[in-house]
Amino acid sequence: MMLFTTTAGSFPKPDYLVKARNLFGRKKISQEELKELERKATQDVISLQEEIGLDILVHGEMERGDMVTYFAERLEGFGISGLVRSYGNRYYRKPIAKGKIKRTSPIALEIFQYAQSLTERPVKGMLTGPYTMCDWSFNEYFQTRRDLVLNLAEVVHQEALDLDAAGAKYIQIDEPAISTRPDELDLAIEAMKIVTDGLKAKTISHICYGDFTTIYPKILDLPVNQLDLEFANSDFANLEIFKNPPFTKEIAVGVVDVHSHIIEKKEKVKKNIRKALEIFPLEKVYIDPDCGLKTRTPEEAEAKLRVMVSAVKEVKKEMGLR
Amino acid sequence: MLKTTVVGNYPKITEDKSAPNLRSALNKFDQDKISEEELEKAYGQTIRRVMKEQEEAGVDLITDGQIRWDDLVTPFARNIDGLEIGGLIRFFDNNVYYRRPIVKSKLAFKDYSTVEEFKFLKQNSTKKVKAVMVGPFTFAKLSKDEYYNDIDKFTLVLAGILKKEAKKLEEVGAECIQIDEPSLCFSPEKIDLVNRAIKIITNGLKAKAFLYLYFGRIKKLIPKLFDFQVDGIGIDVVSRPENLNSILESSFNKELILGCLDARNTSLEDEEELLKLFERVTQKFSSEKVYISPSCGLEFLPHETALAKLKRMVQAVKKFNSS
Repeated sequence: MMLFTTTAGSFPKPDYLVKARNLFGRKKISQEELKELERKATQDVISLQEEIGLDILVHGEMERGDMVTYFAERLEGFGISGLVRSYGNRYYRKPIAKGKIKRTSPIALEIFQYAQSLTERPVKGMLTGPYTMCDWSFNEYFQTRRDLVLNLAEVVHQEALDLDAAGAKYIQIDEPAISTRPDELDLAIEAMKIVTDGLKAKTISHICYGDFTTIYPKILDLPVNQLDLEFANSDFANLEIFKNPPFTKEIAVGVVDVHSHIIEKKEKVKKNIRKALEIFPLEKVYIDPDCGLKTRTPEEAEAKLRVMVSAVKEVKKEMGLR
Repeated sequence: MLKTTVVGNYPKITEDKSAPNLRSALNKFDQDKISEEELEKAYGQTIRRVMKEQEEAGVDLITDGQIRWDDLVTPFARNIDGLEIGGLIRFFDNNVYYRRPIVKSKLAFKDYSTVEEFKFLKQNSTKKVKAVMVGPFTFAKLSKDEYYNDIDKFTLVLAGILKKEAKKLEEVGAECIQIDEPSLCFSPEKIDLVNRAIKIITNGLKAKAFLYLYFGRIKKLIPKLFDFQVDGIGIDVVSRPENLNSILESSFNKELILGCLDARNTSLEDEEELLKLFERVTQKFSSEKVYISPSCGLEFLPHETALAKLKRMVQAVKKFNSS
């Protein structure tokens, strides 16, 4: 099998879960009631992906709000700030590093095990990388950013070890912040080496929102097996840079734009896939949306994935692949 | 005498239950539970609170905190024909989003964006005030251009449109207009283009014009940056500490707005450290030509920290000025 289809991680939360999270925030429902709904939503995300025909699934991150705050809230050493606006009338509480960061119990393990128990297909274990955790937190304790990043790397490594031991075939450690500060790429690489050390699982890192020309080819030194990058968003304008020097890792190619309401035409997505195959060797290519789907409506997310899977099927058929 | 100012935005809500709650008003308005007049009232109360906090802290040159703005570009994009407002995209290296404008056809001025809110600020403030606008190059870089396919042309067209805004702001009493061009730091090769674009806006303008370059490095912009037709330049010596040496070692010839309190971290600056920095800067530049400010807009911080930083900034400057 080739050209596996997958997604970057998050799915849109159904209305009932958005409401429940809101009620939980106002202490109107219990943790157990919220958890019950998170599980129901996770189950729906898994069945949807199976039904659409994706090869490598995600659990959908129904239990997470912000990808950094979610972990920070569960780690010792982090405080949580007052409200900060993320967009429009949406606010979130940002982590503040106030002391040495320690993990008291596994964080991402439980939802991974639950999601994997629902399906025969592989579910990716999803973590947020140490560099991004640092970059998106306030810091009132560590002398340097490096100190904080390396401390976080140890913690994320423990998370990864748990997922690995639980049988995760793929562990994805997202580092969206990497591309925004090319001058700290060495630090991000050093940290990722700690995170992925000794893992049996295939490791992936999702990076987005950036100008890859500033981090390529150095990003190939990031110690993971696969990079998951956005392409559709810029209409593949950034593809050429991966030609020389050649890309050496596996790559998940974003072929649908998660920031647009418009559902791509199948022909367009097929064209995107073919473009990617001109640069990357077939056996190393995975196909997915540019980024997490959480900012789309459930209908848009589903429609985009259907177009994507159907485009991949047709391209494979045209190439005489199974 | 050193003076103090802010860079623009300020937290819209506070944890103080007795303060006007704009967040709840916006929610209620979305659910048709309050009228537009009631929402306007909440905006007015919030803007007054934000102005008062800056005034009471003792800031010399204030803004309205950009309380009506969702982000740096949308307030302007909304009032330009030929644009659509697109999806959410990360704003530079922050965990904060903006809506990306998408250029669909020839752009044309539709309406003024910030003139009414500036009038409110001007009429209600006891301090000197400044208007803020997005720079044409940053606007262009933050957009998706499906029409011009030429960043130079796109930027210059935007400059022409923003010029009208600047003229009108001046007409209604703006004595100082700040133009935000953080994107220039990340595309230093475009400095000649940006120089031209800024000139389009500031030509014939009697109001003071300040160019703001937060988040990025300025080294590669020197010395051409000093030819810009502006009265002052704001730089961020927190996000890129090396910017301090770049400016101190240069032949800088304008008013300097020194962004030196970290507007993206809650850790509160040490007063002694600030005093040392002021000393270093005033050895090189006349204190009459230097403003002290946070490194960028304070809205990246929760309200209580933002306010604490304002107070710390003014305190340190007062101490420095009286010594």
